[in-house]
Amino acid sequence: MGIGWRPEISGFVAGLPGLRFAEVVAESVHAHGDLPDGLPALLDRGVAVVPHGVRLSLGGAEPVDPARVTHLAAVASRLSAPLASEHIAFVRAAGVEAGHLLPIPRSREAIDAVVANVARTTAELPVPLALEPIASLFDWPDDELTEADFLTEILDRTGALLLLDVANVYANARNRGEDPLDLLDKLPLDRVAYVHVAGGAEHQGLYHDTHTDAVPQAVLGLVTELCARHRPPALMLERDGDYPPADELTAELDAIAAAAGYPAITA
Amino acid sequence: MTSPIEGGREGDHPGQPGGAPRSLATRQAELVEALTGGKPVPYGFDAFKVDAARVALLRKRAGEVARQWPMLAAGFGDRWTASFSAWAATRPTQGSLRDGWDFARHLRSKGELPAIAGAELAEREARWSYAGSAAPRARRVPAVRSAAGAVVVQVAGRIRVIRRRGWAALRRS
Repeated sequence: MGIGWRPEISGFVAGLPGLRFAEVVAESVHAHGDLPDGLPALLDRGVAVVPHGVRLSLGGAEPVDPARVTHLAAVASRLSAPLASEHIAFVRAAGVEAGHLLPIPRSREAIDAVVANVARTTAELPVPLALEPIASLFDWPDDELTEADFLTEILDRTGALLLLDVANVYANARNRGEDPLDLLDKLPLDRVAYVHVAGGAEHQGLYHDTHTDAVPQAVLGLVTELCARHRPPALMLERDGDYPPADELTAELDAIAAAAGYPAITA
Repeated sequence: MTSPIEGGREGDHPGQPGGAPRSLATRQAELVEALTGGKPVPYGFDAFKVDAARVALLRKRAGEVARQWPMLAAGFGDRWTASFSAWAATRPTQGSLRDGWDFARHLRSKGELPAIAGAELAEREARWSYAGSAAPRARRVPAVRSAAGAVVVQVAGRIRVIRRRGWAALRRS
């Protein structure tokens, strides 16, 4: 069990006695300057810290920015990370920042773009790369492939690992009116490097993967379903704002561990 | 079938049937413009869902800017998210530092910068040189800046607030 390290909860994370694994937003770490306060102590304890990129835009039709690839590679080296991760998404186009992870069409053209960008990235990365399918409130009108076929083809052609976010699986299925178990049954779960778990909330009939709300019971149920099919190497809680009191975060970590059948890391 | 083109005039929406095939790059750019620039939702997308994503994006930006510019956000109280979003809806993000800076300058130009936010803006303007078109850079020379009646002096990187609020604001409070 692990947690997404953020400066705001650095003290809480430092106080988790059983922590073996954490994730840090790659863009928040300097490639050469001082590490953010709190991270060196985790590394000294032997906690594996995985850089998680959010601005590479691997799904962009344009080639990834070489400086961003270099940065991710440098951060992975600095952290002595076992792997790095990014998203199957695009975040900018024609020089305009979207400010968020956006979906790409489930088309051959888009797969080719992702595969090319992943190849440009892994050529420089010193560690394996795990790819995370995102949550999206909408889909492209011209999707040619099912999500399972789309993801499987990307993983097969890139050789990348899968960072499976069960909250994203839940959000997409709910907003599309699908059964999230259908996707779990079809994904290559043996490729899962680790798993994200996060909270969300419903607005106007749509489920938003906010990372600022509690993890719903349905997402915990999906954790159990996933682990019944294939036990992932690690799971972690992602929280990105509206941080609750420490005892609530502790309870969420314990609930995820219990749902997965993993030992608690909080005591 | 419901119309996929609600929210704008027909003919404005990129990618209508019968047009020439467009590249992924073009279509991604059109989607980003719809989400960040107030442009029409490209043809075929679910306009309700894309708009929900657009609004969620603005809410997230407002939260990020409030963390960078706490006094600016405090000056709006409960109206912060709506006020910032109305301004930001047609302006793609430049990062939360610059977004808040640009919004504060916009408010000042209209005489609407909340008095409580004056010192925050003046302090940053005294410390950094920011032309609005590129990332702020630290000033190498002393500077005096004012905003909403607050006055701030920077010498050798050290900041002193000479006056936190304008006299008009003091009289009102």
